[in-house]
Amino acid sequence: MPYEWLPPSAEGERLHLWPYRSLPRRGFVLFIGATAALLTVPLVPVLGTPVLWVLLPFLVLAVAALWWALERSYRDGEIVEDLTLTRAEMRLTRHGPRGRRQDWQANTHWVRLTLYPQGGPVPQYLTLTGGGREVELGAFLSEEERIALHDDLARRLCALR
Amino acid sequence: MADAAIHGHGHGHDDRRGFFTRWFMSTNHKDIGILYLFTAAAVGLLAVIFTVYMRLELMEPGVQYMCAEGARLTAAAAGECTPNGHLWNVMITYHGVLMMFFVVIPALFGGFGNYFMPLHIGAPDMAFPRMNNLSYWMYVAGVCLGVASLLTPGSSDGQLGAGVGWVLYPPLSTQNADLISMDLAIFAVHVSGASSILGAINMITTFLNMRAPGMTLHKVPLFAWSIFVTAWMILLALPVLAGAITMLLTDRNFGTTFFAPEGGGDPILYQHILWFFGHPEVYIIIVPGFGIISHVIATFSRKPIFGYLPMVYAMVAIGALGFVVWAHHMYTVGMSLTQQAYFMVATMTIAVPTGIKVFSWIATMWRGSISFETPMLWAFGFLFLFTVGGVTGIVLSQAGIDRAYHDTYYVVAHFHYVMSLGAVFAIFAGVYYWIGKMSGRQYPEWAGKLHFWMMFIGSNLTFFPQHFLGRQGMPRRYIDYPEAFAYWNKISSIGAFISFASFVFFIGVIFYTLFAGRRVTENNYWNEYADTLEWTLPSPPPEHTFEQLPKREDWDKAHSH
Repeated sequence: MPYEWLPPSAEGERLHLWPYRSLPRRGFVLFIGATAALLTVPLVPVLGTPVLWVLLPFLVLAVAALWWALERSYRDGEIVEDLTLTRAEMRLTRHGPRGRRQDWQANTHWVRLTLYPQGGPVPQYLTLTGGGREVELGAFLSEEERIALHDDLARRLCALR
Repeated sequence: MADAAIHGHGHGHDDRRGFFTRWFMSTNHKDIGILYLFTAAAVGLLAVIFTVYMRLELMEPGVQYMCAEGARLTAAAAGECTPNGHLWNVMITYHGVLMMFFVVIPALFGGFGNYFMPLHIGAPDMAFPRMNNLSYWMYVAGVCLGVASLLTPGSSDGQLGAGVGWVLYPPLSTQNADLISMDLAIFAVHVSGASSILGAINMITTFLNMRAPGMTLHKVPLFAWSIFVTAWMILLALPVLAGAITMLLTDRNFGTTFFAPEGGGDPILYQHILWFFGHPEVYIIIVPGFGIISHVIATFSRKPIFGYLPMVYAMVAIGALGFVVWAHHMYTVGMSLTQQAYFMVATMTIAVPTGIKVFSWIATMWRGSISFETPMLWAFGFLFLFTVGGVTGIVLSQAGIDRAYHDTYYVVAHFHYVMSLGAVFAIFAGVYYWIGKMSGRQYPEWAGKLHFWMMFIGSNLTFFPQHFLGRQGMPRRYIDYPEAFAYWNKISSIGAFISFASFVFFIGVIFYTLFAGRRVTENNYWNEYADTLEWTLPSPPPEHTFEQLPKREDWDKAHSH
């Protein structure tokens, strides 16, 4: 599930959320490796001829382009929402793609946690209200995950108050 | 941020795009898929018209239509007719180039791949929507360059077009370096290759990184798998082609001698590189067809596909083996016996994964509740004809027998059975299977069936007799033939005319369906065995789909996969 509670520390409870990506890093390595290995096959019949040196740049370019595209796709999904929860304060930092950063904080006691079954950009839209703003949480998660997260957070908020 | 967006704004997705914005500036995978399908159909019509003209010429011995005095459409036209071999060569070249690069791959991979692969994996769009737009327009630019090449001087006597065959073999393709037609043809292939590579990278990234949560590689629908395997093959094969034709270009224009023996080069090297691309190319053409056929057969047999995992790995194996068999296209160039033995055995090995697929399709139908709607008829046709083409492929794979069959009509019959009948039947199966989903209107069943039977009879009549002609020794790529080959050539030409009539009828069926077809109201107008994610969406699907992750129960059917 793409969110997890970090081990409890002195700063309070911390929650990380990130969007789902279906290619694990290990898979990326395997795929680039296999592609590069297969691309060496056409070089065998042209070993020792000048033709090799004309083919090679095209093959290198293909692997490089694939590498770049997969990395770029990872970067597009590099969103981490970092929620810190203490008795005094609740802080949410959203690290967006390419270094974008947004912050929100509010007094935990007054924070309202809302789950909108409909009417939001996604069903079961989860928001936090406090400090004069309403901000979204885990809009990229699946519906079930947001429902589970809502119950989980509500319980923890209750325990802190 | 992060600031909440409740009560509507930024949501709702009314499609307010104008015609120009929607179709000329599209970054939407569904719209781009449709653009690919229409463009491929238009280019396909042109390439088919060339074949009709060729079959018209071959209908009788002697040259009646392609005359040096001017191309004719009626044999009754008065006057002397000197055979115009260049015109013939131009026809076979552009039929091949257009079909290989600008019709079948764009239709199956660009069209159906773009439209349905993201839907099958529950992705909101392609990973790089603007690059997708670039791929499509580069493809259009490639078509324009191809047509420009057809209309510019290509022969020393001032005739138009390059008549070198789709394989562009040197030294033929490096002659007449001052004429522009051949260079434009090379650019056309370059641009279309770049378009395919960009498309492939996009598809690979989408498939690998944007699958719905829980959809592991062993749960992805077979069509999405087939598009991924195809994309991978494109990525591995097309850069090699790009390198090869770049060398042709420099040999022609900058005095290099990569393929010229007088400068230490070797024309056979070109053949090796070309076929290293060319053999995977034929699998690039057919593998997406495998994906479509799997879904059609499962749907109309009302059974989940038999042997999902073997089906997946058979596709991967076919893709991988496709890269190590290239020289079976060139047994007669003077390779060593050992090399020929290797390529022969490797080629025959491909029959194993292909057999796994064919038998799994049959096993899917076994004891199924089969109904013969139009897409199923095409799938049946595909299965039968692709198998015939595959079996003649095994015959041709034998280096000894290939000595007799090389460059005869037997080869023409073989590759048209796998591509013209295999891949094209898969395209038609896909069109009839999904047109209701894509357009919201359904074709008249009788019309689809009539189209199938005309095409099935016509194309078999065209290509089956060509086996006989090949066995009698009739060589390919000639404008004329001796009296002895007249009988089967006449029948073959009649078949070609029936096939052409069926294609024209198909165009009519499509336009009738789009403008006056019965409206589709259900999401899934077939049955519950059409169980991939596109069948959970309205017909036609809204502009944006799966902006929220699909629910697992929508795609993970207990009885499937």
